[in-house]
Amino acid sequence: MTDHSEGMSYLSTLPRRLVTLYLPLSIIVIVLLFPFYWMAVTAVKPKEHLLDLESHNPYWTLSPTLEHIHALLFETDYPLWLWNTMFIAVAATVLSLAASVLAAYAITRIRYRGAHWVGGAIFLAYLVPPSILFIPLATVVYQYGLFDTPFALILTYPTVLIPFSTWLLMGYFKTIPYELEECALIDGASRWQILRRIVVPLAIPGLISSAIFCLTLCWNEFIYALTFINTTDKKTVPVAILAAFTDGDQYRWGSLMAGALVGSLPLVILYAFFVEHYVSAMTGAVKE
Amino acid sequence: MNQTSSWERLRSNRNWLGFWFMLPAAAFLLLFLVYPLGLGIWLSFTDSRIGTPGEYVGVENYEWIIEDPKFQTAVFFTILYTLVASAIKFAVGLYLAVLLNQSMPLKALIRALVLIPFIVPTVLSAVAFWWIFDPQFSIISWSLKHLGLIDHNINFLGDVVNARASVIFANIWRGVPFIAISLLAGLQTVPASLYEAATLDGASRWQMFRRITYPLLTPIVAVVMTFSVLFTFTDFQLIKVLTNGGPAGSTELMATMSYNTAILGSRIGEGAAVSTAMVPFLLAAIMFSWFGLQRRRWQQGESND
Amino acid sequence: MTERKFTRRDALKAGGALAGAGALQAAHLAAFAQAWAQSNQWKPEKGAKLQLLRWKRFVQSEEDGFMALVAAFTKATGVPVSVLNESLDDVQPKASVAANTGQGPDIFWGLYSLPHLFPTKCVDVSDVAEYLGKKYGGWDNAAQIYGKSKGRWIDIPVGYNGNVINYRKSMIEKAGFKEIPKDTAGFNELMKALKAKGTPGGFALGRASGDGNAWVHWALWAHGGNLVDAKDKVIINSPETVKALEYAKELSTHFVPGTASWNDSFNNKAFLSGEISLTNNGVSIYAAAKAGAGKDPKMKEIMEDMDHSLWPVGPVGKPTEFHICYPMLAMKYSKFPQACKAFMAFTMEADNYNKWLEASVAYITHPLAAYDANPVWKSDPKLSIVKDCGRRTLTAGGLGSVGEKAASALADFVVLDMFASVCTDRASAKDAIAVAERQARRIYR
Repeated sequence: MTDHSEGMSYLSTLPRRLVTLYLPLSIIVIVLLFPFYWMAVTAVKPKEHLLDLESHNPYWTLSPTLEHIHALLFETDYPLWLWNTMFIAVAATVLSLAASVLAAYAITRIRYRGAHWVGGAIFLAYLVPPSILFIPLATVVYQYGLFDTPFALILTYPTVLIPFSTWLLMGYFKTIPYELEECALIDGASRWQILRRIVVPLAIPGLISSAIFCLTLCWNEFIYALTFINTTDKKTVPVAILAAFTDGDQYRWGSLMAGALVGSLPLVILYAFFVEHYVSAMTGAVKE
Repeated sequence: MNQTSSWERLRSNRNWLGFWFMLPAAAFLLLFLVYPLGLGIWLSFTDSRIGTPGEYVGVENYEWIIEDPKFQTAVFFTILYTLVASAIKFAVGLYLAVLLNQSMPLKALIRALVLIPFIVPTVLSAVAFWWIFDPQFSIISWSLKHLGLIDHNINFLGDVVNARASVIFANIWRGVPFIAISLLAGLQTVPASLYEAATLDGASRWQMFRRITYPLLTPIVAVVMTFSVLFTFTDFQLIKVLTNGGPAGSTELMATMSYNTAILGSRIGEGAAVSTAMVPFLLAAIMFSWFGLQRRRWQQGESND
Repeated sequence: MTERKFTRRDALKAGGALAGAGALQAAHLAAFAQAWAQSNQWKPEKGAKLQLLRWKRFVQSEEDGFMALVAAFTKATGVPVSVLNESLDDVQPKASVAANTGQGPDIFWGLYSLPHLFPTKCVDVSDVAEYLGKKYGGWDNAAQIYGKSKGRWIDIPVGYNGNVINYRKSMIEKAGFKEIPKDTAGFNELMKALKAKGTPGGFALGRASGDGNAWVHWALWAHGGNLVDAKDKVIINSPETVKALEYAKELSTHFVPGTASWNDSFNNKAFLSGEISLTNNGVSIYAAAKAGAGKDPKMKEIMEDMDHSLWPVGPVGKPTEFHICYPMLAMKYSKFPQACKAFMAFTMEADNYNKWLEASVAYITHPLAAYDANPVWKSDPKLSIVKDCGRRTLTAGGLGSVGEKAASALADFVVLDMFASVCTDRASAKDAIAVAERQARRIYR
């Protein structure tokens, strides 16, 4: 998708841009990033300095230490939790994408009877957020024999992921010229083949962006992960970190923040590579 | 060629195909959403408690919560929280999207940086905020004291008004990136030629924004804001970690109240009633933007696709 | 069997079981355990393995002691036990979900009236309780109330955590007091003076399920107020409650600002950084100061300067303290109920329990009379104050039943929110009482 940002920019002079663009942008970016910066500083600050604001400036640390990160990586099951979280997130994303691709294609191209209404009905899934569902869902998860297994999450997360990725992919599929499919249909290809060989390859940016969104949601999910998984070595990162570093009524802030940082790293790296895809895919999706 | 067998006709029949294509998505949603939802609604009509299944009691749970001052406060604050946070998120998000849409050095890097609040797991950034809002050790209080602007620590989460403002701020902080990036995508679909034509006609930037950018953005705005409102209304993690509904229930959201009632208070039926009570509001939000969206499309002259 | 006294006082002085002491304990335990396994009357099922979920430890050495005990049990009986740790506030939800779905850990170790939330799902452990009571001098009153439901024991109250006043000696001296006043009026004067000197105290007014509940219930009961009477009838709307609220409101004006947002961890943080002079807590603050004293001179200073004191007595004339009880229960869905019972019995046997009591450096107080003789109560005068908290404590539910309703009322923060609304000026005493009364009526109907 073309980026129209160049647009009329030749009309703005530098001082003007300073005030209307760079200044507000800097302020917003600083506010958005400050907590993250603060987390990073806390993660490497020695424990004794954390509560002593009089003698140690909270903004930075003069004696950074790796002790919190060390505690995180070597004294807990952190690598295991990281693996659990990634495994669950990837598996749930793959399942959701598969289901969404099929559903989006069906709604936009196959246009079966009532497809339009189904497209709208999918959003009704968001009427029922996890914070409502998790009690009856715990019973259901047990009935299906999934309690305390990663599948409890892998199979329940798609209910949150499918609606959004279907919407995204619907928008994306609509931008693919129908003529390509028409030709293939006339040549006798089945819908399935068309999907596999024409539509999906062309929709890869949309798939990527949807995958990123799904992975983020999985990584972030808390209440199902808290309820359905009991054993410590099966937990996901957000749940496990919080439990590992709160000793009853003492919070080990340094390690908590180290955990927050390291726990966000995989996603940050992913986004660093794919944010342009994400933006351009969203652009494709919103064109109607 | 009239020799297609009935099997082949069936295979290419739209409804048949549609059914099979929809099946995976439908299976997930039916098994793990619709069925538990039905169960949850059923529970709200019983006096179920943890450990005992409970019996049907009709609308008694609803009668109770409607007159409960704590529930009324939770509804009030949930609506306030959603409206204020969504409005500000939209305004700031749109503004940020407009800024990011312009050419500047390091554009890709800045766009990536802006997404960071969205990437960090909510519960962990909530813990970070908890300390930023600490009554004794807040870095904000410390900074303001050192600048001489205040003389005592700010009571961020212990005073009713401050607590409400603080959690709303944390929610805005978290939500702005998603809205900004989505709106940015929308901005980029506006063809440059429209702006060029308008400039030749002598339009000011503000006029261009109002007459060209914003109307074309409306569909994406409707969808993004619907998602945003839904997610904000049903927020759980942020409040649970920052205040757990305190002080004295003034920052309680319907989602946290339903969890506290059902799990901690072990009154499942009542908790289910609280959460089911959220559904009408969410439905209203969806109806509003869906029909708003329909109208917009019609105005643009496209077929109802 | 004779009790064997454990005399490694250096382990105690260092603030906990060091690795070496831990290993020695384990060896010592193992010897006893073998013998015990022969005579124990609850033979574990064949192929049994247990999963136990407990609250995350407040004091590291307590956890070390507990894990040594678990290891000894496994060695003695061949039953592996995997221990899951959850933060205190999460134990009840997990237990509730497990009870509801019929699947999960075999043993839960939670707080207050957790087992009474689902009494029919708990294994009847009356035989274990009677055996232990007979052997070790009898259960104290509160333990019997927490342990029994309709005359049968549904859990073993393994211990209490004493919640007491933690204060800085130098600071109260500067304010003109030599010790914590024994009456509520004097206590208010102390708080006023501390604030005037710039060294205020503070109690949690946020939803702090441990410390917050402890102090507001103390305040309520000390003035004769009660949520329910002995028949579970709601009597919160009374002049005594109003007096209690007025007292708390006055007291809270002397608090350090911000206590309305405190949960259980905030007062620890504030006390250990020297921000407040007085608060209520278990001995975990002292334990943390001791643990850090080696490396950090500030911690050393706090450790030496601080002390504990019992709660003042209110107009009602007798102590009205509210300490945490930690009951251990076994779920009926467990496939190995005999193994569960064996574990509970093993835990409370002298050779195991004594060592564990000492390792927990008074974080845990015993419910059985015989353990008064445990050396931990003589090891450090600052700790001996919590020895009797099992005998002194009132139970959840106050005058009323310790059951589902009391648990519900605690979980809903009925009393805590009432106090918080008044102290933060959100509601008048009358209105706050009305809200609490309505909620309580609903819970206790």
